[in-house]
Amino acid sequence: MGHESNGVSNRDTPSFNFYSDRCASHMLRKKLPFLHSLLSPVSRHVGHLAGHQYDVIVVGGGHAGTEAAAAAARVGAETLLITQKIHTIGALSCNPSLGGVGKGQLVKEVDALDGLCGRAGDWAGIHFSILNRRKGPAVWGPRAQLDRQRYRDFIQSELLSTPRLTVLEGSVEELLVTEPNPEEPGHHRVTGIRLANGSHAISARSVVLTTGTFLSGSLFVGQTTSPGGRIGDAPSSPGLSHTLRERLGLRTGRLRTGTPPRIVKDSVDLSLAKLHLPDSHPTPFSFLNTHTHCKPEEQLPCYLTFTTPGVERVVRESLQLNCHIQQDTKGPRYCPSIESRVLRFPGRSHQVWLEPEGVTSDLLYPQGLSMTMPPDIQLRLIREIPPMRRAEIHTPGYGVQYDFVCPTQLSPALQVKSTQGLFLAGQINGTTGYEEAAAQGLWAGANAARWALSMPTVTLSRTESYIGVLIDDLVSRGVTEPYRMFTSRAEFRTSLRPDNADLRLTPKGFEEVGCVSSVRYQESLRVRNSLQDALTALQALFLSTSSWKKKLPSVPISETKSTLLTGLDLLQYNDVTFEMLASAFPESLSSYMEFAQRLKIEAVYKPHCDLNKKEIERIQREENMSLPQDIDYFSLPVSLSDEVREILDRVRPSTLGAATRLEGITPAAVVNLLNYVRVTEKKKETHRNQRHQEARGILKVNLSEKKEKKVRCREHTLKF
Amino acid sequence: MAGFTQRLPPPRTALLRSITDPRSTEVLDRGLVLWFPAPRSFSGEDSVEFHIHGGPAVITAVLQALGSVPGLRPAEAGEFTRRAFQAGKLGLTEVEGLGDLIHAETEAQRRQALRQMSGELGRLYQDWSDRLKRCLAHVEAFIDFSEDELIEDGVLNRVDVSVRDLQAEIERHLKDERRGERLRGGVQVVIAGATNAGKSSLLNKLCQRPAAIVSPIAGTTRDVVETALDLGGFPVLLSDTAGLRDSSDLVEREGVRRALERVEQADLTLVVVDSAHLPSEVDRAAAFLREHLSSVLPDTGRCLLVLNKADLLPEKQRQKLDMELRGVSGLPAVCLISCQTNEGLKDFLTVLHSSVKTLCGDPLFGAPTLTQARHRAHLQRCAAALAQYQRYRDTDLALAAEGVRVAVTSLGRITGRVGAEEILDIIFKDFCIGK
Repeated sequence: MGHESNGVSNRDTPSFNFYSDRCASHMLRKKLPFLHSLLSPVSRHVGHLAGHQYDVIVVGGGHAGTEAAAAAARVGAETLLITQKIHTIGALSCNPSLGGVGKGQLVKEVDALDGLCGRAGDWAGIHFSILNRRKGPAVWGPRAQLDRQRYRDFIQSELLSTPRLTVLEGSVEELLVTEPNPEEPGHHRVTGIRLANGSHAISARSVVLTTGTFLSGSLFVGQTTSPGGRIGDAPSSPGLSHTLRERLGLRTGRLRTGTPPRIVKDSVDLSLAKLHLPDSHPTPFSFLNTHTHCKPEEQLPCYLTFTTPGVERVVRESLQLNCHIQQDTKGPRYCPSIESRVLRFPGRSHQVWLEPEGVTSDLLYPQGLSMTMPPDIQLRLIREIPPMRRAEIHTPGYGVQYDFVCPTQLSPALQVKSTQGLFLAGQINGTTGYEEAAAQGLWAGANAARWALSMPTVTLSRTESYIGVLIDDLVSRGVTEPYRMFTSRAEFRTSLRPDNADLRLTPKGFEEVGCVSSVRYQESLRVRNSLQDALTALQALFLSTSSWKKKLPSVPISETKSTLLTGLDLLQYNDVTFEMLASAFPESLSSYMEFAQRLKIEAVYKPHCDLNKKEIERIQREENMSLPQDIDYFSLPVSLSDEVREILDRVRPSTLGAATRLEGITPAAVVNLLNYVRVTEKKKETHRNQRHQEARGILKVNLSEKKEKKVRCREHTLKF
Repeated sequence: MAGFTQRLPPPRTALLRSITDPRSTEVLDRGLVLWFPAPRSFSGEDSVEFHIHGGPAVITAVLQALGSVPGLRPAEAGEFTRRAFQAGKLGLTEVEGLGDLIHAETEAQRRQALRQMSGELGRLYQDWSDRLKRCLAHVEAFIDFSEDELIEDGVLNRVDVSVRDLQAEIERHLKDERRGERLRGGVQVVIAGATNAGKSSLLNKLCQRPAAIVSPIAGTTRDVVETALDLGGFPVLLSDTAGLRDSSDLVEREGVRRALERVEQADLTLVVVDSAHLPSEVDRAAAFLREHLSSVLPDTGRCLLVLNKADLLPEKQRQKLDMELRGVSGLPAVCLISCQTNEGLKDFLTVLHSSVKTLCGDPLFGAPTLTQARHRAHLQRCAAALAQYQRYRDTDLALAAEGVRVAVTSLGRITGRVGAEEILDIIFKDFCIGK
């Protein structure tokens, strides 16, 4: 495998080799289509769409929107993606990179659920590295610098070749809202959208909003402010904000973020910066890929440089000309502008990474120099940094302020609790980052599809995934500043590793969610079974320490241990690799060589994961006890303090597990709620049984309908 | 424990058994043992009930013996009830008010924890907790940010030092936590004072038998006389010592040396004074006693002043003294008694009992010993988790950090919960984090 075997290497029609031949021979020669020819037939005139009924409409074509649309279509929904400009679908609005510590875990999980961003990263990456390489596999952070153009190309070609997915260029004027379905909780129901200028209505059973920074967005440079969601792009329609706030009564807040100026590469003296090389063997994000598109030797370097006292001086001198920084809107603490960095930590030298924007790009992205001062002062500032003494700015940096919807108003399926069929994902929920957006988009899209197809929505536990941690944090705690993923947020970090995301999520994604292709599913089963077999084989190697010493003379095995050790015990030793064991016992182990690294990690972490198991099970039991969304906590006939009632009413936790994590909830309140859940469940059950007996005939019809839908899903997944 | 080496008792039958510490095979108590196999138990799981005697020493000993059995730990607040719920064991009527009950329980525990936390112990735990949180924040910062940020290499080295220190401190604390020992081994009460003040008489009165030889001759007691007694449920080890005076007699001098040594180690000293030696002017009595105390005690440790031979004083002077010496600053509680006529003994016993009670914690409801056993379990887990940090420090920082996380949670169960957000706050406060 590899690019060499393709014979012809052609930049315009690149070929991309996927994982083993065993799993998907039809995927071996996946080609990116010519985009221009594909884009042209996409309708920019919506006349024939009016009155058309979709299952799912996704508004927005960023990381959340593209994952949402693709996931909805994979689940089997007729899906329409509406975006202001088709050619910006999949655009990397800010940094040209994907993954990192915590974020890399999200990319692996999105990939395990058959999402796009992992494969797009493998396609577009031009500098791969595993961060935290020396800190333990649980916190490894797969990361890549991306070629902006290639990333966009991949996402667009993926979407345009996804069955059941239509892309439409347009601006959404408002949501169509009507009376709720009385059999489901909620005060409103969404029935579609109305487009701006032309007032076409398009109906859908569910709508996913992924408006990013475009919801009442305004841009800031120096002292000027203009409406917009991204430079060169108008904000979303004021009608949309109005519907959310006034019609649906949703609480919103305001956040800010920013982006650095883009620097002309030729104007920078890179010899004055520190060269930073990528890994010599790039590791792909996707579980389906063994190689990245970019050859190891074709990777581009990054450069590291530092701020000087001059930078701090320029920031201080220009403060009065910088209205973004003077506002008290909450910005991210971990991705702050250079202004807040030097103001908060004065007298220090701050890191600035100079990152390539792409293979053919003439620009550099100065990570760490997000700024909002007037453009002429931006130029003065960057010229205070030695490699940029004579640098030219291509596009100045700017700040964005935008509305977000307080995410405690969402269910763990990312559905607005009060509004049937309305789902939100990405920055609209108060998060920051491509990976956070992609993860929510996938989950919201899959659930919007399930809702539209009358299947129950699904949730991910924080005990099984970073996506679960992200969503649970959002919907149970809410945000006070842009939310970014860190590994420290995951309680069960040693179990939620990047290496095992496929084992954790792919089977569930296929069996319970329907968002995973059968090809990927089969592959994950093969991996799972092989790993299990290999661990069993390791445990079956049961030798005395002296026999081990003979077999592995180079390993210091303490003689005092007269006990028997298994191969699994040995693999937990620091200096024992699976390769060593396999060469000592080729007959039982050599067939598992492709999993050498994964087996080593499994062996080391197994005792710790086993310890976690009990706690995980307890939390999952509590998470399985759902609290009805329509409870009136103030009149609930159980003993709860007013304070507790108020908290529960405000947050409306979806499960008992979420309730226990709320601040101010006492053990007594949890016990009372537990009791309430049990009693109401019992009542429901008896009720269900009655209905079941009354209406067996009707049920049969429903079942056969469901079967049909399942067949539809399968068809799609096989057609990948 | 009770006959675990033998076979299990029949289900739901109360049997009288010796409760034995599995580590030392020492018999801790004799009591009733009840075995409830699942699912017919309160929580629906296999359960054993021990019905033991209510003394704090017995409770503590049994709890600690149980804690030494692998896989056993003290239950969380409301855990039994929660498990019973989850197993579907509790019906609707049984449930009514149960939440309130738990609330009351946890509220009481919280208040008790608060009370204990306000003292020296509380400050100690809080200090550990703060230091641990900082350690965790710094490790987490190193994991989540060091690839992108300027986090000095020294950060982890400082964490190493802190973790090592903390582990040592906690282990030391677990070893010489005096309160637990007092309950196990008895409160050390030492009777001291000048010769012929009636110290041995007091000892005999307290243990209600002639344990020490009493005579009118000064210096009758030469060595330390020890006797164990149960004072309202508290084990007390009472020692009578030689009267303090300069003597040329070698044996007596050794006796005095031993007496002073005992006083130094005592949890509580009863300083006995012959009332007849008090100055006849009542208003000078306080100054006299202060001076006398400083000659007997190396520092003003915990003590009670016992003015013996009160029967020798005229009634008027006795009453005046009683008034004069009540709540005088710089003086401990003063009891006027007579071992001859038993006058004032009852009041003295009340004062002594409450002092011993304070020294053992507040076991009025049995809860403090329970709390302490729970504290001990959490502290032990905390120390073990810190050892995990050191084991994995160089090979796998994620597993090392897991150790600190467990340590923080264990300590958090004593001092209050610690959330991820709090750790992130420390990270952002201590480091210049930017992307």
